[in-house]
Amino acid sequence: MIWTALQAELRRELTQMLRYPTELLSEALVTGIIFYGIFLGSSYMAGGSILGSRLSEIIVGYALWTLMLGAIGNMGWGISMEAQNGTLEQVCVGPLSLRAIFALRSLANLLYDLLLTAMALLLIIVLTGHRIDFSLLEIVPFILGIAVSIGIGYLVASVTVLVKRSNQFLNLLQFLLLFLVMTPFTDLKGPLRFIAVIVPAGPQMGVLRHLAIGQSRFPGEAMWLLLAVVNALLWTFAGYVAYGRVHELARSRGSLGHY
Amino acid sequence: MLLEVDHVAKRYRKRDGGEVPAVRDVSFTLESGRILAFLGPNGAGKTTTIKMIAGLVRMDGGDVRIEGRSIKGSGRVAIGRLGAVLEGSRNLYWRLTPLENIEYFAGIRGVPRARARERGMRLLRLCGLEGKAGETVQHLSRGMQQLVAICSALVHEPRILLLDEPTLGLDLDAADRIQAQVARLAREEGVGIVLTTHQMDVAEHLSDEVVLLREGAVVLHGLTQEVTRRLGGDSYRFELEREPGQEQLARLTGRGALFDSPRSFRLLLREPRDFYAVLRDIEPIGVLGAGRDTADLATVFRHYVGNGADGEVQP
Repeated sequence: MIWTALQAELRRELTQMLRYPTELLSEALVTGIIFYGIFLGSSYMAGGSILGSRLSEIIVGYALWTLMLGAIGNMGWGISMEAQNGTLEQVCVGPLSLRAIFALRSLANLLYDLLLTAMALLLIIVLTGHRIDFSLLEIVPFILGIAVSIGIGYLVASVTVLVKRSNQFLNLLQFLLLFLVMTPFTDLKGPLRFIAVIVPAGPQMGVLRHLAIGQSRFPGEAMWLLLAVVNALLWTFAGYVAYGRVHELARSRGSLGHY
Repeated sequence: MLLEVDHVAKRYRKRDGGEVPAVRDVSFTLESGRILAFLGPNGAGKTTTIKMIAGLVRMDGGDVRIEGRSIKGSGRVAIGRLGAVLEGSRNLYWRLTPLENIEYFAGIRGVPRARARERGMRLLRLCGLEGKAGETVQHLSRGMQQLVAICSALVHEPRILLLDEPTLGLDLDAADRIQAQVARLAREEGVGIVLTTHQMDVAEHLSDEVVLLREGAVVLHGLTQEVTRRLGGDSYRFELEREPGQEQLARLTGRGALFDSPRSFRLLLREPRDFYAVLRDIEPIGVLGAGRDTADLATVFRHYVGNGADGEVQP
């Protein structure tokens, strides 16, 4: 059932993307231009020489930020669009819960976003001839970071189901996320380090930062990786539970499909 | 039994903290291959009941069982046996073609793509839409979109189909095609159908049974033919010399009179002596003709909704 549903979501996303190729091209172009801008900007600030490891860190941070934004936006914006278009209730009438369908939808979106980001990065690397240090180890915190965004996506979806409009909230959220992703919370000392454990994707970004600058071994690596898992579980669980509660509240109010 | 709606109730909370009862007490059953017309004026609780059956609105009391399985708790399996086309919703993805929509809704209901495609094409063919399978839904007419929505709701071969105002806002041709498909589904495929509509001719033409709601409660439940036949004896037709004035019109409408033209109306009378009360209502307008008439569902509806009558005609 789940596999058939995931295939259906992947097909729906792909068909809609390919049906309007100008939208897809403009999205790819914007991603490419931003990455290219980061490369050029970094070279300019470093006086003509590439920033090397620091650049990799920025690129990885930016890639995670865009993917997280995509995942969160798809949940929040997606659910409000579905309610507005009148398809939300139709999706609900079936053996799978809306919560499960939105998880599959997020996964499908993420796969395409990941592909688009990877292609844009590859193109920039070919064009500029610069190399990005990205080890296989980075995939683990990267995926854990994306898991957090699914949790936050559920939270945004919860707000959307309750108040029906979350566009302004999503606009604000992207700046908050940028701050969270780019701030080295793991470098805080003493009890303040606890902040890194609980902020969304805090430990994940800490690990990624170290790995991106070539430190495959750093102090407390195993502990931070474990905390990244805990952080991912915490946010995913919080979002999942919150959405379940809000969905039941909306059913009780009879406002699930209202917009 | 295919569907059992057992004393369901729903109250909505108002902003001031008070509560408003949307559905007070609704019960009915539906068997395979039968069409049940679920009627009532606006705000009677029809859509809320339909949404409770579909699991979209949580009921405060009672239960809904599909093939003996309650939809409460882990009722998603039971809800998987349903198909629904809801009123006021587009029900479809406009950027996708009819076949892509059908395949998508089949997929999220666990039907593999090859089977969905095969069944989708068959459904589109039956609806005369095979030539439109590759056009995006946004370019189809309203009637075609509604037919595609019905096909999408049927692709996983549900045992029950909920149709909320399926012919609302459609032209005659489109409405006829939808009615033909609804009748075929019940008679040939044995699907149990719950149909809400304000179009009494549609309900009378299609339904085997009728449930009439007023203020969230069932005021009439019976076989459609039985209801119109049994109440036919109480149906009267009046033809007047001239149009009634505002006051007279208000009194007649209050009795459930259904005007065919400005000077003639039909209504159901509870007792024979009410005939003379009607004559007093229209006094001093001259009466060209008055006598017994055959009742149709619209007259029955007016009688129960406007007159405050209630009754049970056992199916």
